[in-house]
Amino acid sequence: MPQVTMQVNGRSVSGEVEARTLLVQFLREHLELTGTHVGCDTTQCGCCTVHVDGVGIKSCTMLALACEGANITTIEGLAKGDVLHPMQSAFSEHHGLQCGFCTPGMIMSAIDMVNRKGHALDETTVRKELEGNICRCTGYHNIVKAVQAGAAAMKGA
Amino acid sequence: MAATTKTTGIGAALRRKEDLRLITGRGEFTDDFREAGQLYIYFLRSPHAHARIIKIDATEALALPGVKSVLTGKELLADGIKPLPHHVWALHPADIAMPNVDGSETFMAPHHAIAVDKARHVGEIVAMVVATSVALAKDAAELIHVEYDILPSVTNTWDTVKQDAAVVWDENGSNVCGDVETGSREDTNAAFAKAAHVARIETWVQRVTGVPMEPRAALAVFDEGTGRVTLTAGSGGSVRLKYDLAHMLGMKSEDVRIIMKDVGGNFGTRGMIYAEFCLVGWAARRLKTPVKWTAERSESFQSDYQARDLAVTAELALDKDGKFLAMRGSNIGNAGAHTSNFSPLQKGVEIMTSIYNIPTACFRARPVVSNTLPTRPYRSAGRPEVMFVMERLIDIAAREFGFDRVELRRKNLLHKEDLPFKNPFGMIYDNGDYHAVMEQVLELGDWTGFEARRAEAKARGKLRGIGVANYVDTATGVPRERAEITVRPDGQVDVIIGTISQGQGHETSFAQLATEFLHVPEDKVNIITGDTDVVKVGGGTHSGRGMRLASIVIWKASNEIIAKGKRIAALMAKADPAQVTFEKGHFHAAGQSLSLFDVARAASERNDLPDDLRAPLYAMSDETVNEAAFPYGAHVCEVEIDPALGTVEIARYSTVDDVGRAVNPMIIHGQTHGGIAQGVGQALMEEIVYDRQSGQLMTGSFMDYTMPRADNFPFFDAGFAEIPCTTHPLGIRPAGEGGTTPALGVTMNAVVDALRDFGVTHMDMPATPEKVWRAIHRKA
Amino acid sequence: MYDFSYHRPTSLQDAVSLLAKQPDAKPMSGGMSLLPSMKLRLSKWTDVVDLAAIPDLSGIREEAGHIIIGARTRHVEVATSALLHAKLPALAELAEGIGDPLVRNRGTIGGSIANADPAADYPSSVVALDATIITTRREIAADAFFTGLFETALAHDELITAVRYKIPKRAAYMKFRHPASRYAIVGAFVAQMEGAVRVAITGAGPHVFRIAAYEDALTKTFSSAALDGVTPKLPSLNTDLHASADYRAHAVVEMVRRAVKAAAARKSI
Repeated sequence: MPQVTMQVNGRSVSGEVEARTLLVQFLREHLELTGTHVGCDTTQCGCCTVHVDGVGIKSCTMLALACEGANITTIEGLAKGDVLHPMQSAFSEHHGLQCGFCTPGMIMSAIDMVNRKGHALDETTVRKELEGNICRCTGYHNIVKAVQAGAAAMKGA
Repeated sequence: MAATTKTTGIGAALRRKEDLRLITGRGEFTDDFREAGQLYIYFLRSPHAHARIIKIDATEALALPGVKSVLTGKELLADGIKPLPHHVWALHPADIAMPNVDGSETFMAPHHAIAVDKARHVGEIVAMVVATSVALAKDAAELIHVEYDILPSVTNTWDTVKQDAAVVWDENGSNVCGDVETGSREDTNAAFAKAAHVARIETWVQRVTGVPMEPRAALAVFDEGTGRVTLTAGSGGSVRLKYDLAHMLGMKSEDVRIIMKDVGGNFGTRGMIYAEFCLVGWAARRLKTPVKWTAERSESFQSDYQARDLAVTAELALDKDGKFLAMRGSNIGNAGAHTSNFSPLQKGVEIMTSIYNIPTACFRARPVVSNTLPTRPYRSAGRPEVMFVMERLIDIAAREFGFDRVELRRKNLLHKEDLPFKNPFGMIYDNGDYHAVMEQVLELGDWTGFEARRAEAKARGKLRGIGVANYVDTATGVPRERAEITVRPDGQVDVIIGTISQGQGHETSFAQLATEFLHVPEDKVNIITGDTDVVKVGGGTHSGRGMRLASIVIWKASNEIIAKGKRIAALMAKADPAQVTFEKGHFHAAGQSLSLFDVARAASERNDLPDDLRAPLYAMSDETVNEAAFPYGAHVCEVEIDPALGTVEIARYSTVDDVGRAVNPMIIHGQTHGGIAQGVGQALMEEIVYDRQSGQLMTGSFMDYTMPRADNFPFFDAGFAEIPCTTHPLGIRPAGEGGTTPALGVTMNAVVDALRDFGVTHMDMPATPEKVWRAIHRKA
Repeated sequence: MYDFSYHRPTSLQDAVSLLAKQPDAKPMSGGMSLLPSMKLRLSKWTDVVDLAAIPDLSGIREEAGHIIIGARTRHVEVATSALLHAKLPALAELAEGIGDPLVRNRGTIGGSIANADPAADYPSSVVALDATIITTRREIAADAFFTGLFETALAHDELITAVRYKIPKRAAYMKFRHPASRYAIVGAFVAQMEGAVRVAITGAGPHVFRIAAYEDALTKTFSSAALDGVTPKLPSLNTDLHASADYRAHAVVEMVRRAVKAAAARKSI
């Protein structure tokens, strides 16, 4: 079976995978990083969002083998020890989660949004930029608030 | 909105205890669990809506290396696996009975976990493949040859009752499983005969699906030594799942253990046992190996219970001044291919008249089957449908007979002094101030300032509309709940409760209850759920029962803890138990101040205590609550329509829900926001579509089924009222479904209002761009 | 997903020869359409040839009055390109509306054009801007490229290396998006080129098409008023759950009108 090596949350990992193994399967099943979730099979819900070389992508639509040599950050790699990433804190502070299943993807996507769009995000921008992430619990109200607050907090961090 | 500055206990907008693990990726959802050597299941499902299964040949599939087993309906029957234990009607004493007019029994048919004779809907399980990987199991499924005799199908609800409709269950001879009449036909017809005006509606409240974001999954382990099956699976509650699974597998309930940690949404459609849960357990027992199944989203669309799907004709009689005289009509509830659950039909029809003073009413209610996925309660089962009908009827009446929409509601809304009020179907509304709440939301939504906004929108070429809707919700559900509280000498309080969260934040809000009663900080309170070896009794979350019942049993158990504590403190301080007080977490006895934990330690260390006070300091409350609750409220919605394309935008949305007493206002607002989105989703975009000819499911993934997204909404103006509920000892009303219950009606009232200049008086949901465009351009 | 052999060639030559060897080999760029269809077992390939390691396939540059975009340029790069915002903002705006931000972070222009999804956005730009598709073998004119539903003029072992766009005087793309899939129900790309206006529609038919009557009217007068009274001859349009053919026909008119208005409001280059 083909071999793949990548950096995940700062750690070098490798494994043997079938060619058809998706990045999300590699993360969840081989590395037991189960914070990255799978909520659909049509590349729409965004529950599986991770960062590959600093860019937000849907890990259900990327082959593990395509990540050879890449640098991956998952939800588990955001906090520095006990210190949460500002976007994580913002989701809790603004009650941006209920069941929590879409949350890791939301947070990873929100950070990517800030990386692309900056720290001062108006409501319209946040709502538009969340197009690739679906939540069924919150009506998005508090997610939008959380992303705005988290974006502002990232500036100081 | 109730302002609160509390930082602890009931009323505090406390940040959630469960968040830390969920925002750091350490949640424990079902698919996150694994067992060494586990095998994987893939289900082969019927591609046909209605077909007799002639022959299944799995020879080639079984020859594939790594394929361990292929099981069909034949093995299912041979192993004595019982059909799913559906309780079609709600059995709460407050819900109305649903006897057939002709005295016959409601038709019920066995729902086998694997189709044994016919497949009755697209997606029904035909075979189960067990293999060493999911991919391999899928490969094998493609090698199973099933010979079908394809039969005519029926999926559309109106079609089910037609004479020439395909019959789903030959045993019943027709698709109608029951024919119930509620209220008084005689009085109602008499009132209609005297009416000055009659408003009419014929509408289909379309089928939707729940879509919890975590797809269903299950992991089963069979312990050969003990003979026990342990199933890890997310559902609406662990205890009922244990009993249901034991029943299906023919096992003693103590030989089944359910583990349920984080559950990624429920909304009702995930609430009960599923065929797959039983089959995973069966496979583990049969193969003596751990097995796992995780649904993919497209599989969820073919296998998750679906919801709503109510066809209604209704009439409202008014006198010349607009006073409501009577209401009548007929509801047909489409249960899908199996007689799984008729309670949405029941729970809707019993509050058809909502909170208006309508003296008499009569409704026919018929549950029907069809070649569609079975339906179940979904976010406020049955009530959003009938509130939609009532609130649309009022707007239709106002428009047709020249009344002001708000005045018509004011004229007919029950006054607080009318309460308690027995509605024409026998439901007794407790208390509240319906008028005050409606006025509050009209204010919040700036009803009086609307015409200026309409004019401003018109200048931009947009059609703006506004709607208001009142609602009432019947909260009943499983009446029994239990809490067990243990005060540990190490400074922690353990609360075992039979109701598990699927996102509602119980670890926080239930802890706030214990904090309120026992004066222990929330972070010292551990809410323990989700393992049936620990939790023995509990009904799960549905029908607004989580907080409503948990608060009662946690309160009662806390009172017993305090009572026991007083006796122990009296012994410790050598005081009269009657003189001991409990304040701020301390017992005060004969000048001594003893903390709850001092007392708990004494209970475990002292050997001079009477037997019932010996360690640990523990109390249990097991209550059966036979009263229903009637949360109510009012919403105002404003939409803006682009007439060129028919697209509808929610411009503004305001709510006032009477929650009786808010335990955690932050969580309540969150529930409301999510509820609104599910209701607006149904009103504007969501629909499960079956091809009317072939019975094929046309909306099988997120590519076709429109999920509400962030850009479909503005920020909501969510407020609430706190008029204590008189039938709840703590005044609490359920708050989980108010967001959804009036949302269908209020959104459609706003859409129709926006289209008033085009002669539009009603539109079935969802108000998709094309439908709105056709209405504007008067195209069929 | 059916299993396959994965290849990651480092040169175009190697990629082409891998494809030439296997009739059921498939090139993959961003994978945003290919992988979803493979996951649902809607397509089956013996070999997947990942183009990610091939150098010099991405980037946006201006050359001799044209914009040249490398095949592996991601949608996000097109959407945020300063050069495009100055010279061809319509294309940047089109890219900004594809899929969602996470898809745009990975999906590429070459992949999208080669896939020729009837509801994809890019094909409308290719046709409206009279672009040239540059491949490993030749150059293909826009009007000859899209041949049918998911069908193009590309040979099995032929890869797009770049797209060469003419720079219009003014242009705009307006998309009426499918509420669930986010593809175009109707996307209208209107470009005022030197000497003529081109109007290309995606999403509405089996593949991107032009509307001659509109092009003639707009060539005479570039304003939405020029469309009044012009009855376009449309091919047979798609009907699905979200839009019937006659609604789509109406949306075509509406989106063209909006695109003309948006383009006319732009400064002419």
